[in-house]
Amino acid sequence: MNIGVHIWQLMNRERRRTLAAAAGVAIAAALMMSVVLFGSASGTTVTRRALADLPVDGQAILAPGADSAAATALLVADPTVRSTQPFDVVHFDGATLSKAGSATQTSSGVLVGVGPGFQDSTGLFSLSAGRIVPGQIVVSRDLATNLGLTPGDSARFLLAGGQSADLVVSGIVDITGADLILGPVDEAHRAIAANPPVNVAVTDLTTLAKLAGQIPAGAVASDPAAGANTGNSASPVLAPEPAVLHEILLRYDDAQLPGNPGDAKVWLDGVRRRIERVGAGTITIADDASASLEPVAADLAWGQVLFVFLALPGVALALALSRFAAESSAEATRGYASLLRARGASQRQLVSLFLGTTTLTAVLGAVIGAIVGTGLAFLVFGSELGAANPLVTILGGFALTVLLTTLLATLAAAQPLRDQLRAELVSGRQELGRLRPPLWQRLYLDLLALVAAGAVFWLVGGSGVHPVLNAEGNPTVTLALTSFVAPFLLWIGGTLFLLRLTVRLLSRGPLTPLLERLFGPGGDVAGRSLVSRAGAASRAIVLLALAVSFATSTLTFEATYRQQQRVDAGLTLGADLKAVPTTVVDASAAATVTGPGVTVASPFVDRVVYVGSEAQDLLAIDPTTLPHVATLSDSFFQGTTAVGAMGALASQPDAIFVSAETAKDYSIVPGDRIRIRIPDAHGQLREVDFHMAGVALEFPTAPKDAFLVANLDYVARQTGDPAISFVLAASSGDPSAASLGQRLGSGWTVSDLGSVTARLANSVTSVDLGALVTLDVGFAILIASVGVALFLLAGLSERKRELATLAAIGADPAQLGALVAAETTVVGTAGTAAGILTGGLVGVTLLGILAGVFDPPADVPNVPVAAVVAVILAVIVGLLLANVVATRTMRRIDVLAALRER
Amino acid sequence: MIPLVLCVGATREFIRAGAASVRAVDRVDLDIAPGEFVAIEGPSGSGKSTLLGLLAGIDQADGGSVTVLGHDIARLSPTERARLRRSAMGVVFQAFGLVDSLSAGENVALPLALDGASVAERLGRAADALTEVGLDGFDTARIDELSGGERQRVGVARALIAHPSLILADEPVGSLDDENASQVLDLLEAASRAGGASLVLVTHDPQSAARADRRVRMRDGRLTPEGIAT
Repeated sequence: MNIGVHIWQLMNRERRRTLAAAAGVAIAAALMMSVVLFGSASGTTVTRRALADLPVDGQAILAPGADSAAATALLVADPTVRSTQPFDVVHFDGATLSKAGSATQTSSGVLVGVGPGFQDSTGLFSLSAGRIVPGQIVVSRDLATNLGLTPGDSARFLLAGGQSADLVVSGIVDITGADLILGPVDEAHRAIAANPPVNVAVTDLTTLAKLAGQIPAGAVASDPAAGANTGNSASPVLAPEPAVLHEILLRYDDAQLPGNPGDAKVWLDGVRRRIERVGAGTITIADDASASLEPVAADLAWGQVLFVFLALPGVALALALSRFAAESSAEATRGYASLLRARGASQRQLVSLFLGTTTLTAVLGAVIGAIVGTGLAFLVFGSELGAANPLVTILGGFALTVLLTTLLATLAAAQPLRDQLRAELVSGRQELGRLRPPLWQRLYLDLLALVAAGAVFWLVGGSGVHPVLNAEGNPTVTLALTSFVAPFLLWIGGTLFLLRLTVRLLSRGPLTPLLERLFGPGGDVAGRSLVSRAGAASRAIVLLALAVSFATSTLTFEATYRQQQRVDAGLTLGADLKAVPTTVVDASAAATVTGPGVTVASPFVDRVVYVGSEAQDLLAIDPTTLPHVATLSDSFFQGTTAVGAMGALASQPDAIFVSAETAKDYSIVPGDRIRIRIPDAHGQLREVDFHMAGVALEFPTAPKDAFLVANLDYVARQTGDPAISFVLAASSGDPSAASLGQRLGSGWTVSDLGSVTARLANSVTSVDLGALVTLDVGFAILIASVGVALFLLAGLSERKRELATLAAIGADPAQLGALVAAETTVVGTAGTAAGILTGGLVGVTLLGILAGVFDPPADVPNVPVAAVVAVILAVIVGLLLANVVATRTMRRIDVLAALRER
Repeated sequence: MIPLVLCVGATREFIRAGAASVRAVDRVDLDIAPGEFVAIEGPSGSGKSTLLGLLAGIDQADGGSVTVLGHDIARLSPTERARLRRSAMGVVFQAFGLVDSLSAGENVALPLALDGASVAERLGRAADALTEVGLDGFDTARIDELSGGERQRVGVARALIAHPSLILADEPVGSLDDENASQVLDLLEAASRAGGASLVLVTHDPQSAARADRRVRMRDGRLTPEGIAT
């Protein structure tokens, strides 16, 4: 017996069976392939995300005495370098301020010199107060607070080598995001996560060059904000940094950067080595981009586990579909096996034949599926995929997908195949192996898995993922695999329990009277038929339920994920839209912002003020309009509600809310008078009296610890400065910075929640799950429809003679159609209802995975009702199509031929 | 007398992919009187069952006409043909044609169920019908518990339950031993005689055919001269 020839003949003979089984495997392979490619594409996203907020990609540190112009020319000549910025650093050992007969002093820090285009190029050192004046300095808020500096003061800096320099302060500068370039540059300091300095003064390159000239060659920083600051006594003794550093900050060409973080690190390392080789003795590179990618690789691994987990049920379902197809053709397999046995085939030959057929079918399906999956991936997230070295990724993914799906599909179909051959051997038509319940039912594995899911969820719920800050200050996450356990167990346990339940219910035939009432005589036959086909019907119900559950839980997870992204962004941006004027405007400008697409606008002032000598953010707001544009939670305030706080600011104009830290530091309680120095329109500080109304713990736009909230109108009147910082606005639909920006014109810069969401996201949360969810839900609907169609068609095939009999004794086409419709209704209703229920439960347990990624975490899942309804409608359409296919197939049955079959 | 069944030049042709078309029924003229017992004989593949399918309205003639109880089958819609079968015909099959998922009683009651009779009425009448064919108390019996003879008697009971004017039996005893075959033929003949129903028996067994009032013979889709003359 030539097995190969017979395999081919069997596949040809059972063409429909082959196609059905291959379709199931193809769906699994397409889903798996698209998930693999999504994982690769997400690598590009997290790599871009990790590097997007970096002010610079690398720092070229010049050797003492090196020619800066020659070094710049050398760097610009490298094809990977897009732009350069000179950046000089002078360490000071201390600073003092003598004013009004008293003196304050602070410890070491850095003076940095930057060129005129530095802020535009890097986004760093934006001015919070005052102005930039050549020859003067702008200081960090900490330095201002430590010395009690205000614009106009002159501070003395003690330089290495004993010289000192007096510099006039012209403003306050925000040093957020500059840790990387302010901190130590050598590997040893970075390795122990040395803290960057907080006492920072920024000036122009010429002024800094003069200061550097006062420092003797070879002088070192006395305390370069490293080593000693780590508080780790076990840290190695580090060599101090030079007191003067000349650097050139580098930006690389992003387009050349590979998408995968690992590949990107290798690429960056290559760039570093090449530049250091060309500029040997002159240039050393501090690879900031590479350091930022360090935690991303781990994050990506976490993310990819999550993506696979989200898609895993779909792959399992598709394989179940393949198995279902194999089971559906039991009759045909047995018939062909009998024929071959009669011709002398041995049991071993039969096993080889059918196993070979199954494997070849699986390979066929896997290859087709992998091709389809690749096409879908390019269709849905092709732009991210393009940067992820697609050929290598696709070839690798293709091989993995084909191998894995072939193996799994063959294993999945092996058992029904064995049953069919055994049944054929023993009695021809009796279904063996169904006489006693399967092992999992006898061992109650379903109930055990459900109990374990509950226990795990209770024990480890909410502790799945923990955000931490890495050495570079980037948020990253750590993975706790336990967070996947509860949903996994619930999914397995729920599936098996549902199967147990439906088999038991259907085999008792409670639906027959109802179906007869609904569908007439056809319903009666369907009800009785479902009793005898309880096993197959249950499998169809479970398949549908799992497909719906898969779609529902994935949609719920994604909606909650997106919701939390927006909550995070809302707290930072303050409202749907934020419009910042480029010229000085007063509170009446809010009326300009209101208009098409904007329902309410509220003016807002964010100004640096002084509480004692401490610089803090004063948030001056309009208490009547702000609650309509910003989300104000009761938890933002201590001892009062959000409404109460706004009421206090409205009714008592000099009311002020202070941070808990300020209330503690100054021992003040509600009712106490507070005198605050606020700059007027000319930058002169004016003393304004307030009465403390309470404590604010958080406030829109103010994620920092120390801030004050007061009435905008009162502040404007008291300082004589009506200027506002920006306008917050509520949109009537989807907030769009572009449309508002277009309406307001060039006098405003507008940002919306979407842009802030992207900026805030850490490496994992930067990945848009939308594409993955679209694929998952699409496959779920396909699996549901194909699954039910297979069940119905298998039913028709098994019962061809029965249906022919019914037709012959007078069942009209409508009655026969009602039979199919009744079965579709039972399977569809039970499957969809059970799917929504289990999907909801799995969705709740999936929240455990999100806990910790977002701050604040989600309390309840966000069920996207419209999307779930759309999925259900799509499933219903799929069921109707399956019903139409089954009805048409039934009408094509050759009644006379079927009646002659034995 | 107006014939119950009238075939005039009835023709049924099957087109097979890659092969010449086959006329399974070729210009058949046949009339059957009310209460008449007609046996259609012929070897396998001669077109007997196809002709029976045309009489039952399960299949439709490509040419000529088939009139049953005054209805031209070709002019009836599929639903009307089904109703005619349900109300006026009883059909018996060689392979019994029973629904395995239903009990013997439920199988017998199927024509009544399709007509919308209440559960009580149809099961009561089914029990009576089973008693008439010698299967008293078999109402709840599962089909796979019955012998071949018993199964065919369930099939006969189902064919007779609606008191049809025309009983069509396609090789009803082809799968049975002599004793059971004789019993089943007795039942069909008795029911036909007692109820005045016409009986058309398709068979290749001369002994069975010998019971008929008239025997017609088919070969290659045609009624042979000797068959028509019988």
